[in-house]
Amino acid sequence: MVFQSPFRLDPQTETKCDWVGYSTVAINHVIDFKEKKQEIVKPISPSELFPSLPIVQGKSKPIKIVTRLTLVVSDPSHCNVLRSTSTNIRLYDIIAVFPKTEKLFHVACTNLDVDLICINVTEKLPFYFRRPPVNMAIDRGVYFELLYTPAIKDSTMRRYTISNALSLMQICKGKNIIISSAAERPLELRGPYDVANLGLLFGLSESDAKAAISTNCRAVLLHGETRKTAFGVVYTKKTPRASEEEGVLPVCKKAKTEV
Amino acid sequence: MVRFKHRYLLCEIVSEDPRCRQCIDERAVSAAAKDAVARTHGDYGLACCSISFTVKYLNAYTGIVLLRCRKDFYRLLWSALPFVTYLENRNQRYSCFFNTLHVGGTIRTCQKFLVQYNRKQLLLLLHNCTSEEERQSIQKSVLSCCLKEVEEEQSQSGDEEDDCAETD
Repeated sequence: MVFQSPFRLDPQTETKCDWVGYSTVAINHVIDFKEKKQEIVKPISPSELFPSLPIVQGKSKPIKIVTRLTLVVSDPSHCNVLRSTSTNIRLYDIIAVFPKTEKLFHVACTNLDVDLICINVTEKLPFYFRRPPVNMAIDRGVYFELLYTPAIKDSTMRRYTISNALSLMQICKGKNIIISSAAERPLELRGPYDVANLGLLFGLSESDAKAAISTNCRAVLLHGETRKTAFGVVYTKKTPRASEEEGVLPVCKKAKTEV
Repeated sequence: MVRFKHRYLLCEIVSEDPRCRQCIDERAVSAAAKDAVARTHGDYGLACCSISFTVKYLNAYTGIVLLRCRKDFYRLLWSALPFVTYLENRNQRYSCFFNTLHVGGTIRTCQKFLVQYNRKQLLLLLHNCTSEEERQSIQKSVLSCCLKEVEEEQSQSGDEEDDCAETD
């Protein structure tokens, strides 16, 4: 199961996604706080865009579309939006943050309630990664995201993408990375095998690269679900009965032992 | 036994423009791939990949291409394929991208994969087709290739020894 992240809503991009073999697509809404005060809009429901979802090539299920919000933060006050209990934020499946300064990166790794941290690939990083916040993010289950579409478009961006990705790899050793596209047009997509190979260029090992487009993405979706619903995972386990000769207990007491 | 080992990359050229299919030919595809390798890996990459680089099979109707290169350098070529954005032929540029379907050590493995892939594509086309004649013609081709598979299986049960000759 793999995962893409187009920025703009384009039905043709979705059809190319399922042609190429992706089973889940995330539609991204970007909120940039540098401009005038913007409000977080409700996400557009996928059923309004596509009357019938195309079927993924190779499987028999239709493609799954999730919604995602990206916050471009350059100031600590912008993060308050996440803590506010506005209902619109809860409607998104995945929340990502794009920190622009070192302090914000530290805050995002340690405190913020997000699923993804986007790594800038279009310009030289203004700060260096340090090991403590990155390790804390890995422990918390927050993933780092790399985009590959700028690398396809322009050669200077390709250099920045590779250098930023390599510096991230040296610190995090290839864990908790996902690679996604920011495709605005259907021709900017690439197939899953090719994207896994791009992971090799970015310094990942082969198994890490394949995980970066499949299992890690699945983990991000599950993280988003837990954030939406229960703030955690609850599982029930049947405990074996202590002994069979308990005799005849009243019914209410019997119910308690079966957890 | 000294033998040069190769890797065969089976790719599909995906494009939005229907005219792009007509301009797919060996020279355009090989120029696009070499150009991408040069831009991504520089002179070293271009030199390594062009040792034994050819386009072995090309199908302009379905957009399937089979590229061959040395086994030691196939990663350089494979990692440069996502960076192909257009094909150029007779001064006409068509935007497209390469979607890698399969990497094999011999042409025969790639061919087996391609046969299965085409079968799945036929079923997809059957699902999506609009007019009645298209539906009937696709149904006929699906039936014919399924029957052929049954006949092949019956004849192949006798000659399994041929497959041991493939070393790679």
